[in-house]
Amino acid sequence: MLVEEFGLTAEQVHPDSKLEELGVDSLATVEFMFMLEDKFELKMSGEPVTVKTVGDIAREVDVVAAAQGIDLNAGMPPQ
Amino acid sequence: MARVVVTGVGALTPLGADAVTLVELLNQGHSGIRPLVSPWIKNLVSPLAAPVLTPLENRFSKLRRLMLDRVAQMSLWATSEAIAQAGLNFAEDIGLECGIFWGTGMGGATTLEAAYVESLLNNAARPRPTTIVMLMANASTGQIGMEYKIRGPSTTYSSACSSSAVAIGEAFLAIQSGRIRYAVAGGAEAMLTQGAMKAWESLQTLAKADAQHPETSCRPFSKDRSGFILGEGAAALILEDESSARARGATILAELVGYGNTTDATHITQPDVDGQVRAMRQALNQARLNPDQVHHINAHGTGTLVGDAVETRAIKAMFGETAKHIPISATKALHGHLMGATGAVEMVALLGTLNTRIVPPTAHLMQPDPECDLDYVSEGARTLKTLDVVMSNSFGFGGNNVVLIARRYQP
Repeated sequence: MLVEEFGLTAEQVHPDSKLEELGVDSLATVEFMFMLEDKFELKMSGEPVTVKTVGDIAREVDVVAAAQGIDLNAGMPPQ
Repeated sequence: MARVVVTGVGALTPLGADAVTLVELLNQGHSGIRPLVSPWIKNLVSPLAAPVLTPLENRFSKLRRLMLDRVAQMSLWATSEAIAQAGLNFAEDIGLECGIFWGTGMGGATTLEAAYVESLLNNAARPRPTTIVMLMANASTGQIGMEYKIRGPSTTYSSACSSSAVAIGEAFLAIQSGRIRYAVAGGAEAMLTQGAMKAWESLQTLAKADAQHPETSCRPFSKDRSGFILGEGAAALILEDESSARARGATILAELVGYGNTTDATHITQPDVDGQVRAMRQALNQARLNPDQVHHINAHGTGTLVGDAVETRAIKAMFGETAKHIPISATKALHGHLMGATGAVEMVALLGTLNTRIVPPTAHLMQPDPECDLDYVSEGARTLKTLDVVMSNSFGFGGNNVVLIARRYQP
């Protein structure tokens, strides 16, 4: 989604990639969180979370999805 | 008092992606007015507008566009051209001595309308988190500062049709007084949205569409005029303290010499002869020029019945017998009414006129009106041997009258 929606390259996007270095500032991070909520029908907690890397976002989404019983792979094409 | 010169111009308009194209197409009488292609256009009485056809998408990364309404994209486009022509790098220390003076009528209209549609019609849980920072009137101003590292004072002006003319005038004063040495001044407007266009339609100021020749529907100073055509775009000027420009060997395009700004205090939409005359007189006084020294006027000339007649009376009251000898152009017939951007766009056009010595026509003036009996250059572009002092009128709803005067630069 970072590649499709934000125009980043696949080479740039790794779990350790720092959002700031990718040009994804705090507002863009919120925008991305909203996109993730819409795509996976998640509901983020709304509590402040420290998110500095792509991996931080993925972990946060995993935690929320698990808590809400949502299968993130549902509807995704088989690998 | 410092002298103030122009060292760069940029324009993104319905008549092309740069300032040179704007000037050329105006002189050719080329119209940027056309039916707007949009799924909602059938909801309007007239589909006509003057849209910017230049694709903007590839200019900015997807990530950057997340924060940029169409109006800010246009602002950055025009500013980029002007700064490149001036050859200035504001990332260096001079960025501290540069101000941003930007005008807009409605700011991020596309973003605002999208947020309303999502929230009120589609019952979306929330608009995008970037909604506010994209729609706020000073979004373009802030984005210009960030893009070019301009770190002096910045102010955003909103006075309807005169917004960007005010911005240029205030930048002129700031440099003249020594507060700053450089300024990015201009404005942008991007309000060709369904809601905004419907609202303008309700106000009964838009031109009736000519069925056979829609591109000629805006007819300033013509007896059959019926209003203006909404347009979009942006224009920027780089203003500079003359001594700075000369010290760095910049090419000086013109000198700004006069700025008048008055309020009618009579009616929120009806123009007023007295207010317009006072603005022209202020600008002439500041420029230390006599009325007979003005060689050309780019009129506000929107194409409304009342507006064009009042402006004609004001020019006659200001210039007396000289009025009939001044070539007057109303370029909105061709580029449309760009609202908050229009003063800056017309100033860029005017500086093109000054440099080419070619006065653009008032297009589509096919039926002379006894109430509008001056020389509107209706026959086509005209080359003038003497063309050294030029005036631009911009009169906005709310009763704000702004007049700018530029002259050929003489060291």
